[in-house]
Amino acid sequence: MDLEIRNLTHRYDDLDVLRDVTLTIPSGQIVCIVGPSGCGKSTLLRLLGGLEQPTQGEILEVGAPPKGSLNPLTYIFQDFALLPWRTVSGNISLVLEGHQLGKSEIQGRISDVLARTRLSDFAGVYPRQLSGGMKQRVAIARALAVDPAVLLMDEPLSALDSQTRELLMDDLVSLWERERFTACYITHNLNEAVRLGHRVVVLSRRPGEIREIVDIDTPLSERSADSAHLGRIQTQLWEMMREEALTADRQLNDA
Amino acid sequence: MHSPDRTVQTPTGVAEPIPLRPVAKDVETRRVPFRGAGFSPKALWYVPPLVFLLLLAVWEAGSRFGLISPLVLPAPSEVLTAFRNLVESGMLYNHLAASLQRLVIGFVCGTILGTVVGVLIGLYSLARSAFRPLVAAIFPIPKIALLPLFIIWFGIGEGSKVATILFGSFFPMVIATYGGIDAVDRSLIRMGQSFNMSRAAIIRKIVLPSALPAILNGMRIAASISIILLVAAEMIGAEYGIGAYVLLAGNLMATDQLIAGVIVLSMLGLIVSWLISLAERHFLRWRN
Amino acid sequence: MSFTKTLRPWLGATLMAALMAMPFAAAEQAKADDKVVVGALRFTSHSAGFIAYEKGYFKEEGLDVEFKFFQAAQPIAVATAAGDVDFGIAGVTGGFMSLADKGAVRLVAGVLHEKAGVDGMMILASNKAYDDGLTSVDQLEGHSIAMTQVGSTFHYMTARIADHQDWTIDDVKLVPLQKVGAMIAALKSGQVDAMIMVPHIAKALVESGDAKMLGWLYDYAEYQISGLFTSVKNIEENRDMVERFVRAYARGIADFNRVMLAENPDAGEQEEMIKIIHNYVYQDRPFEKAAPPILAGSMNLNEGGAMDVTDIEKQMTWFQEQGLVTKDLTMDELVDTSFVETY
Repeated sequence: MDLEIRNLTHRYDDLDVLRDVTLTIPSGQIVCIVGPSGCGKSTLLRLLGGLEQPTQGEILEVGAPPKGSLNPLTYIFQDFALLPWRTVSGNISLVLEGHQLGKSEIQGRISDVLARTRLSDFAGVYPRQLSGGMKQRVAIARALAVDPAVLLMDEPLSALDSQTRELLMDDLVSLWERERFTACYITHNLNEAVRLGHRVVVLSRRPGEIREIVDIDTPLSERSADSAHLGRIQTQLWEMMREEALTADRQLNDA
Repeated sequence: MHSPDRTVQTPTGVAEPIPLRPVAKDVETRRVPFRGAGFSPKALWYVPPLVFLLLLAVWEAGSRFGLISPLVLPAPSEVLTAFRNLVESGMLYNHLAASLQRLVIGFVCGTILGTVVGVLIGLYSLARSAFRPLVAAIFPIPKIALLPLFIIWFGIGEGSKVATILFGSFFPMVIATYGGIDAVDRSLIRMGQSFNMSRAAIIRKIVLPSALPAILNGMRIAASISIILLVAAEMIGAEYGIGAYVLLAGNLMATDQLIAGVIVLSMLGLIVSWLISLAERHFLRWRN
Repeated sequence: MSFTKTLRPWLGATLMAALMAMPFAAAEQAKADDKVVVGALRFTSHSAGFIAYEKGYFKEEGLDVEFKFFQAAQPIAVATAAGDVDFGIAGVTGGFMSLADKGAVRLVAGVLHEKAGVDGMMILASNKAYDDGLTSVDQLEGHSIAMTQVGSTFHYMTARIADHQDWTIDDVKLVPLQKVGAMIAALKSGQVDAMIMVPHIAKALVESGDAKMLGWLYDYAEYQISGLFTSVKNIEENRDMVERFVRAYARGIADFNRVMLAENPDAGEQEEMIKIIHNYVYQDRPFEKAAPPILAGSMNLNEGGAMDVTDIEKQMTWFQEQGLVTKDLTMDELVDTSFVETY
């Protein structure tokens, strides 16, 4: 299933947040959206998942979601959003309850998704016992458990330290290699964008408009941290964003 | 610093000791003085019982030798005798049975009603606007001042006694519950919505468990207030009850019985507090 | 000019001398008079003390009296035991007896005593019980009766009625309600069938139709309701002062009985006395509103402070039999009979 954004404009009272955004998130690809702070990236993601209604324009699901998908548009949050009083498997069970699944079906899905994210050993553990990286892995497992059509990822690695971030990026890459999931990935970190994105969309400062779309052809599995090619793309993206970021910074400080 | 086995990692991965720079003979050297002591008091387990026993001994001796007049404070042995009389006459059972019945009914009803109203205030704009000012206005009224009215509203039987305790536990529960719900992490609720959970499921599985620590805390306060109000509740036409016993002892200036009764009340408070701690340990075990 | 100049220092010096002499004079006076603190309630039954004070009877005995006001009688007894108060008036209650047993306080004179023909404690029925047939004191058996506390004067009074009627206190249901306000509420709403009440409140309840009168307590028990007490320390160490106080107090009682209980009172004298009492009782009301309840609340006081020791012993025995007061208490610990006539 593709996700299509058509002529989307969004406003809070008199404040234009997004202006005339048109974009497709094609099935089986990761689309990274980057932009200076306050450019409306997070708003765009909330609009994509139906947590907010756009002022103008529309967002369309194109094609059928995968069979048995319980929640086609599924978020992964920056702060993990795990229930501290539920174990790892309890947190995954939470999003499976209420779908008229049998007990064994729920159990089956949980152990399947834990195996896919290599978390089987941690099923009975409470979130407070886990590191930040492990928490986000649980959140990813929870998202996969509902068979999503599109993953909506809101800066999923921002709350982690840089070593953990590297490890989790590797995880996401190998996961994508195995599952070929579709994702819209919001980040302000250009390195994440060039490592994970098949396509990188650069937004301007507020009101957010699409400034540039960069496609990166290198397969995800071949992108390494010290690749010169990726470094050049990252620099190129930074060149594009630099002015915007500077102005956005000033804008915020003035306000 | 004086250990000679300082090592450094060489590019080959082999650790080699770095030789210490020799100190010139005529240069004064001294150890860095330790300045970080104190300011971290520890609980010594054997001190509290010792202090308690010492206090009792001094008190008893003071009474025996006439330093403490029986008017000021009865001797611990007299309090013990009063307590023994209470137990052996079977009156302790009568008093406790009467008080516990009032406490349990009043507290359970007050807590349940308080939680329900607190949840309504926490979740619905209409209930919030309607009840919150009412609760703020009624909570601080001393229930004892309303006793004559309670007699007319609820009678001089069990009604007014249970009602006093019910009112006492209701208000702290309301405030604790909606406070707990107000403090629920909104990102968890947003997560629930993003997974298409129903409103009822979000309340049951996210909001209420989140507010549970606050609700249990409210129960702790409500239970203490209930025990405090027990004496007030049993002012009205009570034949039996720990509160009635304490009141009677006060009226008769029977200070030994008075203190025996107060000790029973205090034990009651400790037991209730311990029960709530057990509940907390059970329901909130995910916290530690 | 020169006149004022020369006079001024003189004037100043005289004034200074006068100013400096004043506190000394006051101190001299206080030294001569014994300082006495009296614990009092703002009740008409405490009036004898107010009268003795306002008419200067205490001063004449060389006593410098100061009133400290309380909300209930028992704290006065406790304060006396603690030495903060020298004299007080209290009902002969279980609580007072316990304090006496602890060797702290002792009765030295009688104050309130029921006397046939003088309005005293009234026995009331609730309207509901009255309609259901409780129309006389003879029918009280089996009914519920409000009281303040176990061991209170109300408790004892009910026992005396029971005695008189040939049933026991176990044949009625006594309901402890702690406060007079709660007793009134319970009676008005028909949750208790009967109660015994001080005359001014009782009369008001009957007049407003909130309750029915069954009879006067004096028909069943002419008894010693309350007495004047002091600390054992005062009796032992300051006997002369206690004697003088009792003497002055008895003069207040004599005035009160003569004027307030007179069958054909001298209107002017009575108004003057009510004005004195109004300085202490019902201060929050204007005189016209305060006078009727003050008059209605006037009960018989023991002439000369005489004490009905026979009755006090009867009370003590009863409280001991009920297990409310220790059997160790003796009359010598409860009463000192050397200050007034006893009978």
